Amino acid sequence: MPVATQWRAEALKISTIAAIWLSIVLTGSLLMANYSQTPGMPGTPPAQWPDTSRVRLDAGLSKLVLFLHPRCPCSRATLGELERLMAHCQGLVSAQVWFIQPEGRDEEWVKTDLWPAAAAIPGVQVSVDHAGAEARRFQAVTSGQTLLYDAGGRLIFQGGITLSRGHAGDNPGRDAIESLLQQKHTLSASAPVFGCALGWKKPQDECTLCQP
Amino acid sequence: MSTLAANPLPQDHTLLRNTVSEPRQQTSTQAGDAAPVPNSALQRRASALFRDAENDLHRHTDELFARLMIVQWLAGIAAAVWISPFTWIGDASQVHIHVWAAVLLGGAISGFPVWLAWRYPGLAVTRHVIAAAQMLTAALLIHLTGGRIETHFHIFGSLAFLAFYRDWRVLATATVVVASDHLLRGLFWPQSVFGVLTASSWRWVEHAGWVLFEDAILIVAIHRMLREMSEIALRRATLEGSNCEIERQVVERTAELNSTQAELLETSRLAGMAEVATSVLHNVGNVLNSVGVSAELATSKVREFRVGSLKNVAELLQEHVEDLPAFLTTDPRGKMLPDYLLKLAVHLAEPQEAILQEMEMLQKNIDHIKEIVAMQQRYARGTGVIEVLSVADLVEDSIRINAASFTRHEVNVARDIAPVPPVKTDRHKVMQILVNLLSNAKHALDHSDGDRRMMVRVTQNQEGQLEIAVIDNGTGIAPENLDRIFSHGFTTKKLGHGFGLHSGALAARELGGTLTAHSDGPGRGATFTLTLPLEN
Repeated sequence: MPVATQWRAEALKISTIAAIWLSIVLTGSLLMANYSQTPGMPGTPPAQWPDTSRVRLDAGLSKLVLFLHPRCPCSRATLGELERLMAHCQGLVSAQVWFIQPEGRDEEWVKTDLWPAAAAIPGVQVSVDHAGAEARRFQAVTSGQTLLYDAGGRLIFQGGITLSRGHAGDNPGRDAIESLLQQKHTLSASAPVFGCALGWKKPQDECTLCQP
Repeated sequence: MSTLAANPLPQDHTLLRNTVSEPRQQTSTQAGDAAPVPNSALQRRASALFRDAENDLHRHTDELFARLMIVQWLAGIAAAVWISPFTWIGDASQVHIHVWAAVLLGGAISGFPVWLAWRYPGLAVTRHVIAAAQMLTAALLIHLTGGRIETHFHIFGSLAFLAFYRDWRVLATATVVVASDHLLRGLFWPQSVFGVLTASSWRWVEHAGWVLFEDAILIVAIHRMLREMSEIALRRATLEGSNCEIERQVVERTAELNSTQAELLETSRLAGMAEVATSVLHNVGNVLNSVGVSAELATSKVREFRVGSLKNVAELLQEHVEDLPAFLTTDPRGKMLPDYLLKLAVHLAEPQEAILQEMEMLQKNIDHIKEIVAMQQRYARGTGVIEVLSVADLVEDSIRINAASFTRHEVNVARDIAPVPPVKTDRHKVMQILVNLLSNAKHALDHSDGDRRMMVRVTQNQEGQLEIAVIDNGTGIAPENLDRIFSHGFTTKKLGHGFGLHSGALAARELGGTLTAHSDGPGRGATFTLTLPLEN
């Protein structure tokens, strides 16, 4: 076979494989991006601070409540964003982080390395939510669900504080909360929440995006 | 097909064309009389060397990236397993999609460039695919690590690594992939790139700006590195030209040297043969003297024969042939005739005996001449033939050739021959050396007033080599002459030609041995030692 013809055949082979490779990589990347950008099931939190909650509002301070699954990989990014938020809004808000403890699991299972990381953030109280009682109370179904109540107990924000699943960085949820606390905005806001299902709801009602 | 072609010289890279003449002038200066290399040939060679170096660089970098890709793939899997091993619903879990992405998508991203690097190293398409894959790997790693800002450094590190190719187009490909990633995200998930607030809407521009900033720096560096490569190629091409010329001259000079050496060897060989021949002729001359003396003696003895008396007796008997009995019994002369004949017979027998003795001597001398000539012929014929020889015989033959000279000059030659094994060597060359050494020793003794002593000592030294030493108590050698005594043309004899010792030393070296001289100074004699290997 002449060299030129041989090279043409080689070029065709490489081009074909390159096209297939590009398709596979693009498809995989799109699927990954789609997964990351798809939010979990939004909660239906009470518009007013529930009196039955184990936690009380602090006088004159807004209250941020964050529900986390202790083993969800996305929780680390959420805690990172909470740390930044608390640093930006010192003295304006106190935070309560609930780590869900599913039934049948002990507290050791709950207290992963995320626990001390959360407890180390100034102004943050960390507690175990046994069997998701508080999550039920606040109707939070997705890990990363963040609720902000003003000093009067009125819900002014609900949603997530990450841009996508487990992705740290600037995001609309955190920006909205900071604006509300710094009174740049007064209207209630919301943002999509990205994380695993907390698991207290029935499977058919839960977010299925964690297991696409 | 263009992507398959090897990366050509940069279009803006005119160094090879512009600076060819300058190094060529330098070469002429450096190489002295080296023939100038044609300008176009030098340029072509420099271009070829540049392309070779560039191709080597591309292949080597492809190989490095292939290994890096595999490492990155494994690192991605490890990161996914470490950071997000499972996804959860309450207390139920399953393998996280990131783990599958790291294995499958990471494998797909890395697999194709690794295959290309293995199958088509050095091709342009290989490095462009590697550049794209490297950026896609960066995106995957950033994703797997949850968008950690530190992981973004992978992009900048990769760009620097891609600069190893010294091909700005590769950086362009990588930059396009990064830009495309942002473009696609902007189209499908705008919030992932732009966010929703004005504070971060142009963040991607900032990111791209830093990438372009690094690109600009790297492209400048690449341009400088390519310039250096082309300079090196040019220098190497120039050097090769010089080397070729030098090599040609070396070959020429070596041939001349070989020819001169061959001539010198032949001259030395002839000189050595002349030395032997001189000794032979000297001996033959001496024997011929004896032959001449014998011939004269025989002639004078023949002249002494009294042929006339015998003739007179014969004529007297002829006169009395008729009355011979009466003549012998009655005539007084007849009666004396028997006694006369008896005395004549006795008189003739004496010179006959002397003549016979001289004839025997003559025969011996002629045999001696034949023997000397035959020996010389044997050595002359034996050149280059390796034989197993008795060292004692070699020494004796050498002495015998010079024997007449030694006798005439009253030189006593002693032998101290240790029992040594036979030597496998060239008889002619050894004889040539020994005859010369003995002749020199005899000359050294010519001017000695006292006892003229010479010794030939044969031993086996500690290294197992054969040593034949010719020792004399003659004039000796001045220390300043010891160093140059083996030099060609050096001689202390009035009629010497300075070939003997030089050719002897060369012959010894050809036999795998050495010829050395030692003297404690003028008037204290000298020792010349021929060392030969015994194992050969």
